[in-house]
Amino acid sequence: MSTVIEATGLTKNFGTFTAVDDVSFTIEENRIYGLLGRNGAGKTTIMQLLTGQDFASSGTVTVYGESPVENARVLSNVSFIKESQKYPDNVKAKHVLAAAPTFFGNWNAELADELLAAFRVPLDRDMKKLSRGQVSAVGVIVGLASRAPITFFDEPYLGLDAVARQLFYDKLLEDYAEHPRTVILSTHLIDEVSDLLEHVILIDEGRILIDTDADELRGSATTVVGRSADVATFVEGREVIHRDGIGGLSSVTVTGQLSSADRAAAVAANLELAPVSLQQLIVRLSSLETTSEGSKS
Amino acid sequence: MTTITATPVLTPPPTITRVWNIVKLHLVNRQTYLGIPWIITGGAWAVSMAIALIIRSVASPDDVAKATEGMTNSWAVLSPLWYLCAVGVLAIAQSFPFALGFGVTRRDFYLGTSLMFLLSSVGNALLLSTLVEIERATNGWGIGGVMFDALFFQGQTWIANVFVFSVIQLAIFFIGACIATIYMRWRAMGMLIFWLVLALVLVGAVALITLTYSWPAVGGWFAAQGVVGGFAWGLIPVAVAAVTGFFILRRATPRN
Repeated sequence: MSTVIEATGLTKNFGTFTAVDDVSFTIEENRIYGLLGRNGAGKTTIMQLLTGQDFASSGTVTVYGESPVENARVLSNVSFIKESQKYPDNVKAKHVLAAAPTFFGNWNAELADELLAAFRVPLDRDMKKLSRGQVSAVGVIVGLASRAPITFFDEPYLGLDAVARQLFYDKLLEDYAEHPRTVILSTHLIDEVSDLLEHVILIDEGRILIDTDADELRGSATTVVGRSADVATFVEGREVIHRDGIGGLSSVTVTGQLSSADRAAAVAANLELAPVSLQQLIVRLSSLETTSEGSKS
Repeated sequence: MTTITATPVLTPPPTITRVWNIVKLHLVNRQTYLGIPWIITGGAWAVSMAIALIIRSVASPDDVAKATEGMTNSWAVLSPLWYLCAVGVLAIAQSFPFALGFGVTRRDFYLGTSLMFLLSSVGNALLLSTLVEIERATNGWGIGGVMFDALFFQGQTWIANVFVFSVIQLAIFFIGACIATIYMRWRAMGMLIFWLVLALVLVGAVALITLTYSWPAVGGWFAAQGVVGGFAWGLIPVAVAAVTGFFILRRATPRN
């Protein structure tokens, strides 16, 4: 594996507010990363720092071993589609798509045409008159058709309906399979993209909570359901990240891989074991962090 | 942990191509720089000619001469300028965030935008100065109408007018763009401080000149420069705005 992006001690302050707090991670070439986290967690700021759109307060970012800031060698390999991308008032979708090939060396016109038809984007209307979803669709088309070696999607689905979102995920995976590239996708809709992601970086309040392989993460927690007493016995000594209960029944989520002996014990005790979806796991871990932060202060 | 650093897949085109790509980006909708300024000029011309015709159809020859004289004070010839000022501001306020989304560096964007301003200013100046000549040669489009051969363009040579038109447009573009870079970098607070400081400087200059009874001297100095000389001095603030804008934008970030 070779590293495309390396962030070391990356920090970004806005006045007294620390949006990104001493973050270090690496991004490997030709994998799909999920940059997950709540609103205001610092996802967009991190992406802006990685693409040289913003300047770090301290720490370093290297892309292909160089700083991305004002660096055409790096930036000509980067496509950054953000939810908040502004388009000039005098620009129509056809102008955006006419301009894009100039800036992306791997631009594929066939793919762009195919996506245009699939997303039903009106070409001859001002960008500012398009619906939120149509503006997002233009961004998605540019992001996919640019086939940039490093592609950032910052919540690119805003306003897209379920059909269009699925289309985006399908096309991304399809094109990625044929033309591998490094993709960093930030999103709230974790369940929708969970099959897409190969690696997960979870951010909360500017810090990294999780930086791990997606497959590893998927098997890293289990929900145990059954009679409260049996459940309590089973989870003893394990790390509990969530508890729920009604009457004599409880449902407890524990972390850690379960051995086959564990599973056999669970069956013997009449307990049901359910896998935890990536989204549930992340919600649990994020809220755990919030509550422990709260109790500390 | 030993890591191998990946190598870039794509090589960027040379600087000149990248800068020219920004010109192409500004021209992706041709209306902005090529269409609308000339639609405005054409509209102003049509109105000016209509007024000339109306006057000629009712007034005595003596009054027509006076009216023609009066039309040389019309600012119709500069009518696209207000639009071009907005274009200069929006080139930064809107096209800059757009271009950054395409992986353009601030440096390339600014150089390309400056080249666009220069090409637009000189191109328009060549055409406008030629229209001054045509208006003179046809005695006011055959009806004694005046629009282009007006203001300080009267009695100047074609090349002098090309220069003056260019300076005016460059000033409009670069000063507008420079103010927009202040906004792009420091937002509302930057604007507030800029306008306050500018107002203080202007009031201070007026106060200084007034209190030292220097207005006649200032007026005399400008008169001594002549039209071309006066506008040549105008290149200084244009250059200051252009260079300042570059350095402000180099550290600016488009925000949501």
